[in-house]
Amino acid sequence: MSATLGIAIERLSKSFGAVQALADIEIQVKAGEFLALIGPSGCGKTTLLKCVAGLLPADAGRIVIGSRPVSGPGGREASLVFQDFALLPWATARENAEFGLLLRGAPAAERTEAARRALAKVGLAGSFEQAYPAQLSGGMQQRVGLARALAVNPQVLLMDEPFASIDEQTRRILQDDLLRLWSEERKTVVLVTHSMEEAIYLSDRVVVLSPRPGRVHRVLDVPLPRPRETLDVRASGEFARLVDELWQILKKMQ
Amino acid sequence: MKRLLARGAPLAAFLALWQWAAWVPISFNFPTPWQTVVALAELLGSGALLQASATSLQSLVLGFGAAILIGVPLGLLMGVVRGVGRVARVYLDLLIALPTAALIPLVILSFGINVVSSAVIIFVFSAPFITMNAYGGVRDTRPRLVEMARAFGASWGKLFTRIVLPSALPMILAGLRLGLSRAFLGLIVAELLLSPFGLGKLIMNSRSMFEHDKMFATVAWTLVLAGIALAVLARLEARLLRWRAA
Ligand SMILES: Nc1ncnc2c1ncn2[C@@H]1O[C@H](COP(=O)(O)OP(=O)(O)OP(=O)(O)O)[C@@H](O)[C@H]1O
Ligand SMILES: [Mg+2]
Repeated sequence: MSATLGIAIERLSKSFGAVQALADIEIQVKAGEFLALIGPSGCGKTTLLKCVAGLLPADAGRIVIGSRPVSGPGGREASLVFQDFALLPWATARENAEFGLLLRGAPAAERTEAARRALAKVGLAGSFEQAYPAQLSGGMQQRVGLARALAVNPQVLLMDEPFASIDEQTRRILQDDLLRLWSEERKTVVLVTHSMEEAIYLSDRVVVLSPRPGRVHRVLDVPLPRPRETLDVRASGEFARLVDELWQILKKMQ
Repeated sequence: MKRLLARGAPLAAFLALWQWAAWVPISFNFPTPWQTVVALAELLGSGALLQASATSLQSLVLGFGAAILIGVPLGLLMGVVRGVGRVARVYLDLLIALPTAALIPLVILSFGINVVSSAVIIFVFSAPFITMNAYGGVRDTRPRLVEMARAFGASWGKLFTRIVLPSALPMILAGLRLGLSRAFLGLIVAELLLSPFGLGKLIMNSRSMFEHDKMFATVAWTLVLAGIALAVLARLEARLLRWRAA
């Protein structure tokens, strides 16, 4: 139905008062690419994602998704996934998954149908639909957050440390599920993480941002074979070598 | 059975204490629980109690209703428009800190002695709390939820109805409960001081005639009414906030 879209971030700068968060960011995300963003705390990763989502206006430069320049929030191309899930506590899993469609004025039947499908995609079909967030584990809550993002059928997924507050075992399962989803749906993904292993395991390329103001410090290619979720990539020497290379880059930057 | 015991035990202890107080007696003409029940039956039978209740409830509905209709929207407005909030909360803090009963002479002077003046006093007693809670509820809204909704392109109207209002609802409902208790307090204070009608008048009249059993019966009846009203609100709250029990 919709072609996959790339993202062009051109000479993007952003300040908060006297604090410059981002300086001259230049990133081309290819259509269908899985890009990881990593960098020290406070270097502007979240700010960058918010700019791409149109939640923050850029001071200078511009962002183009597909062929449409980002000019404000609510663009239909991209969906956000949050570290703290940002679920409505008073709404059931299904109502949460429907929320994006509700805000966009989709009719009820269509919403329910899309939410059901999205929940099934993330492995939350059946009785979980009626559960409130407080009744779900962190991992399941993030599945709902992902379903909400997918339900509006975006071409781009923007994920801000989506698995950071989830335990290690659940996180690995979610990572594999995300990889499977990504290969099925062919969406462009930009994922912010603090985990070097996560960046290498998931992405095609890792963009390393430097400390404040955030600039593109290095871009690391990750030529690991896919599908990684079935190939036991973590056990390979190449995986270890890439994680170490990323670590060396980050270490030298301090 | 256990639950029955747990619920019944405090009541039984209270009645025993009351009976003992009447036995001593701790004051002149102190009625026993049984005498109070008999007096209650008599008052209900004669229609005096129901008539007084109707009058009192009329001012309660008027005053508390106005407090909800004005207090909740005002609180919401204060939360959404920061400037309004900053200014209005100073006056509300004053109203809350003030000994509200001191306003009664002023109210009588402006409205005379009638159902409306009782309603005004009930309003003054309850509205500040209802307003403050609605205000606090709006300010409790998680910014992250607002951000999420904005990312999906939510308009201001949708942000308000879909994020701010449900976020504020628990505090609004708690404010209504608090406001209702305050409304009953205002009702009795108003009627004791303003008199010529309602439950307060019944209490005062019984007292001046040394019919202490009737006075007690009226007080007990008032407590029952307040209890029922609060229980209804609690039920409503449990229904609307089902997700919290989860
Ligand atoms: N709304 C804001 N107002 C003022 N300063 C801000 C605001 N948002 C972010 N900043 C500042 O901008 C810088 C970048 O913040 P940002 O949250 O983008 O960093 P980050 O890379 O996501 O950090 P972390 O890894 O801790 O999530 C920080 O110094 C932060 O204090
Ligand atoms: Mg961040």
